[in-house]
Amino acid sequence: MRKGISERTKIGVIFSTPYFVFAIVFFLIPLVWAVWLSTMDWNLMAIEKTWVGLGNYLSAFTSERVQAAFLNTFKYMAVLIPGVTIFATGIAVLLHNLPQSIKGVYSVSFFIPYLTSGVAVSVVVRYFFSYSSVFNTFLRDQLNVDVRWFQDPTPAFFIITGIIIWKISGYYALIILAALESIPKEIHDAAAVDGATGVQGFFRITLPMIVSSYSTVIVLLAGLIFGIFSEPFLLTGGGPNLATTSWYLELYTTSFVKFDSGMGAAIAILNAIQIFITIRLITYVLNKIDYNAR
Amino acid sequence: MSTKSRKKTVLVLLATALVLFMMFPYYYMLIQSLAPWEKVDQSLTPAGFSLDSFRFLMTNGGNQNPYMWLRALANSVIVTTTTSLLAVVTGMLVGYAIIKLRFAGHRFVFNVLLFQMFFPAIIMLVPIYLMMKPLANTYPGMILPTSVSLWAIFMFINYFKTLPEEVFEAARLDGASEFRILWIIGFPAARTVAVIVFLSIFMGRWSELMWDMLIAPNIKMQTLNVLITTQFKPMGNLPGPLYAASVILTLPIVALCLAFSRYFKEGLTFNLK
Repeated sequence: MRKGISERTKIGVIFSTPYFVFAIVFFLIPLVWAVWLSTMDWNLMAIEKTWVGLGNYLSAFTSERVQAAFLNTFKYMAVLIPGVTIFATGIAVLLHNLPQSIKGVYSVSFFIPYLTSGVAVSVVVRYFFSYSSVFNTFLRDQLNVDVRWFQDPTPAFFIITGIIIWKISGYYALIILAALESIPKEIHDAAAVDGATGVQGFFRITLPMIVSSYSTVIVLLAGLIFGIFSEPFLLTGGGPNLATTSWYLELYTTSFVKFDSGMGAAIAILNAIQIFITIRLITYVLNKIDYNAR
Repeated sequence: MSTKSRKKTVLVLLATALVLFMMFPYYYMLIQSLAPWEKVDQSLTPAGFSLDSFRFLMTNGGNQNPYMWLRALANSVIVTTTTSLLAVVTGMLVGYAIIKLRFAGHRFVFNVLLFQMFFPAIIMLVPIYLMMKPLANTYPGMILPTSVSLWAIFMFINYFKTLPEEVFEAARLDGASEFRILWIIGFPAARTVAVIVFLSIFMGRWSELMWDMLIAPNIKMQTLNVLITTQFKPMGNLPGPLYAASVILTLPIVALCLAFSRYFKEGLTFNLK
């Protein structure tokens, strides 16, 4: 038996080594490095670095661009959380009631946008909304509407959020669908016998039973919103007037366009703090709601 | 009965309309990539059929770097496949070690995992970039930092948890070596999860933008996703080829998704456990 234990340990250590090396090289060292770097003024190329203490954090607080990234995260959430959950619920309810034979194909069709590259989508959106495209020509000639989609903050913001709603709703719909399908049919039958209508049934029975799947959806969604990058990077560059900028975009610009890597590290840490607090807050509120629904 | 079946018909029609709406960007992308250049973006219906845009990509229109698009596609395939394979292997090994070997120290490894999960990856981006700069414009530079996936590890951990311990204990009592148990029982049983993990990582990695853009600025090393990004502005007045490149970028994802849809559904329900 002793031999068996030692063999297990040996193999266990060998198997864990790749992850362990990875965690040291790509997590622990960079983590410490990032904190140290965030107290430095260094332009990525120069030999000399100057220690500025919390200077980077202070100038981040007063930077218009960082403030915009911070506030835009909430703006994105205000539109995307209701937008995606409502649209995804619609898709899920629709899928749930479809005949079994076509349900699979339709589910996959809604899911594909989630996996599509933001770059490919940006190509389509860019030209579809360009000045001389068939869509804009139609708007101008037939409806006398002339929208400068990427030059005005409001349409630009709604184009970016529109892409994201299109992209991810299908995935969240599948999560909600899984919850819907786990409700035993007898419960609906009993409610129908008691005289509940479809709408009543949905709000009184279905919704409370799938509330916890909404917690999953909203937390995943919040995490995703912090990672918005490709679409504003390609389509708007964060503008106009910083209306569509995001943390990732700000980090990229600061660290790799302006080469201000100390500031970049500080921005990344501030972003992580906002992620941490926001997700905690959301989970707290959702748990409260979930508890009340039971 | 007739109202019920009518309701079903309405539902199917509604769902079909919604699917068509969701598929519209793909449709638009495809017809514009096949439109003659002077008609691109001028119509919502196919405006003729021309392979000019795809032909342009074959030689980059005879410009500098004639094979950059083909090379970008090859780079994407190499980087994405290698990364996904590595993520599956590392994930399976750690997952197996923690759950089925329960070796001395498995708790520690698990705690490191939980600790790492606590920190968003974005914090580490700048230092990792500084560290990997000597490997800029190489495949290892693109692959290594993405070759281990915490999500993959947790997928395998959750999966190995569901395998009954008795089977493994019985094999041990029969005197099978740990390697043999792994080879005969452990890995074959995890095949489905391995496919799910491989596909998910593959699709995510295929569309990776920021890291690949940073670490491989050389046009010869760019992935397709990055090359479209860097050509987005310079080739702005050549929408046809950009549409064609987007079609090529999207096609593998759609094909894999349709071919392995069963795995995705399984993966999704498994993911939520």
